[in-house]
Amino acid sequence: MKFHDAFKTAFKGLLHAKVRSLLTMLGIVIGITSVILLVSIGSSAQKLILDQVQGVGSNLIFVIPGATKGSKFSSPASVQGVIIKTLVKQDVESFKREPSIARAAPEVRGQAKVVFENNDTTVTFEGTTEDFFQIRNFALKKGSFFTDTDVDSYAHVAVIGEKLATTLFGGKDPVGKTVRLRNITFKIVGLLDKKGLGPFGVDQDNLIIIPVTVAQKQLLGMDYYSVVNVEAADAYTIDFAKSRVISILRQNHRITDPDKDDFTVNTQEDALSLLGNITTIMTIFLGAIASISLIVGGIGIMNIMLVSVVERTKEIGLRKALGATNRDILIQFLFESIMLTFVGGVVGILFGALLVSLVYVILVKIVATTWFFALPFSAVVSAVLVSSVTGIVFGLYPARQAARKNPIDALRYE
Amino acid sequence: MISLDKLWKTYEEGEVKTDALRGVSCKIKKGEFVSIMGPSGSGKSTLLHILSFLDRPTGGQYTFSGRKMSDLSDIELARIRNKEMGFVFQAFNLLGTSTVYENIELPLLYSDMDISKRQSVIEKAVAAVGLSEKINTTAGRLSGGQKQRVAIARALVNDPDIIFADEPTGNLDSHSGVQVMEILEVLNNNGKTIILVTHETYTAEFGRRLIRLKDGEIEVDEPIRERHQHAGLLK
Repeated sequence: MKFHDAFKTAFKGLLHAKVRSLLTMLGIVIGITSVILLVSIGSSAQKLILDQVQGVGSNLIFVIPGATKGSKFSSPASVQGVIIKTLVKQDVESFKREPSIARAAPEVRGQAKVVFENNDTTVTFEGTTEDFFQIRNFALKKGSFFTDTDVDSYAHVAVIGEKLATTLFGGKDPVGKTVRLRNITFKIVGLLDKKGLGPFGVDQDNLIIIPVTVAQKQLLGMDYYSVVNVEAADAYTIDFAKSRVISILRQNHRITDPDKDDFTVNTQEDALSLLGNITTIMTIFLGAIASISLIVGGIGIMNIMLVSVVERTKEIGLRKALGATNRDILIQFLFESIMLTFVGGVVGILFGALLVSLVYVILVKIVATTWFFALPFSAVVSAVLVSSVTGIVFGLYPARQAARKNPIDALRYE
Repeated sequence: MISLDKLWKTYEEGEVKTDALRGVSCKIKKGEFVSIMGPSGSGKSTLLHILSFLDRPTGGQYTFSGRKMSDLSDIELARIRNKEMGFVFQAFNLLGTSTVYENIELPLLYSDMDISKRQSVIEKAVAAVGLSEKINTTAGRLSGGQKQRVAIARALVNDPDIIFADEPTGNLDSHSGVQVMEILEVLNNNGKTIILVTHETYTAEFGRRLIRLKDGEIEVDEPIRERHQHAGLLK
């Protein structure tokens, strides 16, 4: 049988049962639509997360207390809730003396209620030093950052994010005003420019940033740091700076066996590659969930094709009597299911693209959040391939059943 | 053209064995018009199925145009059915939602004929059964007699040497039945070999040789001398 005839025959076969063909196709349309939609959401989220990490700063190295044991997907002990007190002021001072390091800023964090007159709200406060603002690319809208002198003198000064300013002061200028944080009075010296979501969804506009010394001694009662942000000097590679950070920490903490490190040092690239891996897994996972509906759609096709084969037993017998070989019959029915899934796949891609656009419009224009339009070409190509393969896989069994029919029994079938 | 040598066909269902054909031997020459008759269960349909390569015998030898069936693969049998044999069935077996043209085209889909030549061949076949004006009509909308004429056109389209007709008038009124038989008669006059299975005497008498089967054996094999005895009355 010629390709042209096989195509025409299969097409007519489907056309003769239009409603059934459309309903059967619907399963594949839904499957492919959900694959496209979820993979697209995964890709958008991935781009969003990676962009946020990249937006934190450049040439960044993060020093976190506690060792990371096991695979690269493990997190340091401190992140898992274990209190580790080994990262201290002396370490930061050593970093600052190192030529390959441009800046180093420690960080401690806590949650507290911040009060201005009758307004109050619970926010994250960050205790840090002057370098922090440069390292993390913060810009000022008004006023000034606090200085290392403020840090050393335990000055009760604060820099606040734009969103927090709006919550507490409405439209008024916050600079020069005083707020209370755990009953300690802070004078606001600077208002930050809008920065948006930080890594891991931290809202960088809803922060209050205070000198690390005040945060440690007067708010949290601790003398260690939870993170040190290090910026490598441009003249050195980030990997060299990272190795220097490790050497300094081992020396300061008197560690001779690298297996006994009590800290974790990650560069921004490490974080990006880790997050890239995690989000890729997430995208694949979403795609896999959506594929379940594709399998259900495929089984639907198999089901309908089996019914169709039984219904058309007499036609199969006739075709065989007139000279069709088993192969001709197999190809005819296989073409029908491939055509169903291929067309279903294309329609599914169109629907998927439509929904992806809709999600984008809703999130960006209506909800006004940051979102990316992502319709990965690879997802489109694989959707077409997967749907056609679904046609072959789920069409093969019914087509074989059709091809194996004995022509006499088939002709006699009523 | 056809040579049967002690042909057996035994059906097995579980432990029950039924002999549908019990050593049938005969020869049919090119250009003959053979009517096969016999009561139900006599084996006439089984014989037709084997003769038309739709089924294989369980014993004996069947030679068609010099080729032994036992030497031919299923694919070769399909090729011969397509190129050298034409089929007319009692139930017409047309694709009801396809047009007359598409129904007649069916055997050509499985042949190696060039697509550009198809139209003229189909038009010739449909003209031979007098249905040229119905060529684009959906087969389901035709009368019984017209359906059977389309089926004959389909059997002719590959220009086969032999036409097998299985009760071709069984579903027709007598007038349409006669029309169909007359077409077969003309085809035979033009050199086609016709093998007809029927249980109606008047239909059988269009043939020139009668083979009567009983219990899977040939009971009578004789020329038909008095033709059209009943058919003439019906005209």
